[in-house]
Amino acid sequence: MGETTNLDIFTDSFLPLLKAGIAFTVPLTLISFALGLVLAMLTALARLSDLRPLAWAAGFYIWIIRGTPLLVQLFIIFYGLPSLGILIDAFPAAVIGFSLSVGAYGSEIIRASIVSIPKGQWEAAYSLGETRLQALRRIILPQAARVSVPPLSNSFISLVKDTSLAATLTVTELFQKGQQITAAVYKPLLIYSEVALIYLIFCTVLALLQRQLERYFDRYSTV
Amino acid sequence: MIEVRELTKSFGGTSVLRGIDLTLEQGQVLVVIGPSGSGKSTLLRCLNALEVPTSGTVTIGRARVEFRPNEKPRKKDVLALRRQSGMVFQAYHLFPHFTALQNVMEGQVTVRRRPKNEARAKALQLLAKVGLEDRADAYPHQLSGGQQQRVGIARAMSIDPELLLFDEPTSALDPELVREVLKVIRELAEEGRTMMIVTHEMKFAREVADRIVLLDGGVIVEEGPPDQLFGQPREARTRQFLSLLMERSLV
Ligand SMILES: Nc1ncnc2c1ncn2[C@@H]1O[C@H](COP(=O)(O)OP(=O)(O)O)[C@@H](O)[C@H]1O
Ligand SMILES: [Mg+2]
Repeated sequence: MGETTNLDIFTDSFLPLLKAGIAFTVPLTLISFALGLVLAMLTALARLSDLRPLAWAAGFYIWIIRGTPLLVQLFIIFYGLPSLGILIDAFPAAVIGFSLSVGAYGSEIIRASIVSIPKGQWEAAYSLGETRLQALRRIILPQAARVSVPPLSNSFISLVKDTSLAATLTVTELFQKGQQITAAVYKPLLIYSEVALIYLIFCTVLALLQRQLERYFDRYSTV
Repeated sequence: MIEVRELTKSFGGTSVLRGIDLTLEQGQVLVVIGPSGSGKSTLLRCLNALEVPTSGTVTIGRARVEFRPNEKPRKKDVLALRRQSGMVFQAYHLFPHFTALQNVMEGQVTVRRRPKNEARAKALQLLAKVGLEDRADAYPHQLSGGQQQRVGIARAMSIDPELLLFDEPTSALDPELVREVLKVIRELAEEGRTMMIVTHEMKFAREVADRIVLLDGGVIVEEGPPDQLFGQPREARTRQFLSLLMERSLV
């Protein structure tokens, strides 16, 4: 009967933590980011639209999301809405909260990158007879995408870490799992460091993907 | 045929074009000269509907649009008018995320709805015409200014416009690159393309133009064949502008 060393605790807890990360943190991040990007694109286009009510509604949504803490938003969705009879499971509730957040911040990034494309590009597209929508889709958005890769990657990486807030909604993602293991073995420094390490691994992979994406877009360089 | 009647354009309270009348037969080349700020670019941009004229009538080929003050023209009419002319910009405005070939295919595929292989064949043919068939796969940033402008010319021609518009096509170029672009435009004139060209290259204007128009303060000051306008200008304002140009080219 050997005594349990820190190394044993580390190796024993690594797999359950990684599993929690892969089963919850990763899908939570990917689904929320994908939905959030769609929302961000629609919101950016709404804000740039000629239709006043549409632009106004988009501005209102951004104002609410950016002006209130993400944690409070999550609590309203998961703990607050049931009193209106709207019951949402923890995981989808977290997805809704994170998507709304990515949608608001991402739309500002996308809007800024659309606006940054020189006016001459619109005019060249128009001069060929393209409509506004064709010019946007064929000429402006592909160039805006390149501009928005670095700031959107930042949002993506922030989101990986923000998903730890889902622990407060009872989602057994990476951080929640860490809390559970800590309660059992009582080694907070060790376990939370291990949790941090796994987040670090996830974020490093993303940063590498970002580099690939930027290289892809650099096949044409405007400078 | 191209016909412009009583065309005016104001920005806010400032009137920039103050009643322009022009007629251009098919195959004719019209060169527009005039001091900076006289409204040359605005005139071309009105014909391409990049600016909405304040009033007047523009007819290009099959499209005819009448503009009235404080009345938004119908989108469909604007689009139809715009598709009758191709624009070559001073700063090229090539699409940086497309190769030279893709730049020349874009309008054909997206606007004219041509099948890709047809559009590619036509784009290659146009690039050959401007002497760039071997640079078809280059991105704009890999091309010199003169090459970029030649792609710009091929792109403008790709939608088979009735009229080609050139807004100071060589003004952004280093002197040694000007010639290759002017050569291409000269060849298009010989082919019988209908063109309107804003330029400060007077020797070129003299060779290529059927008629010259001097614009100043948003009105046409004088109009005539190059020999007359350069040789025996009727208006004092024309003589003044020409001597100014002479002085500048002698320095
Ligand atoms: N979008 C605009 N808004 C306000 N003023 C403009 C605009 N475009 C051109 N102008 C003005 O119209 C006048 C003519 O401009 P432009 O047609 O560019 O002249 P040119 O090409 O002959 O130099 C200038 O005084 C210019 O400041
Ligand atoms: Mg000009």
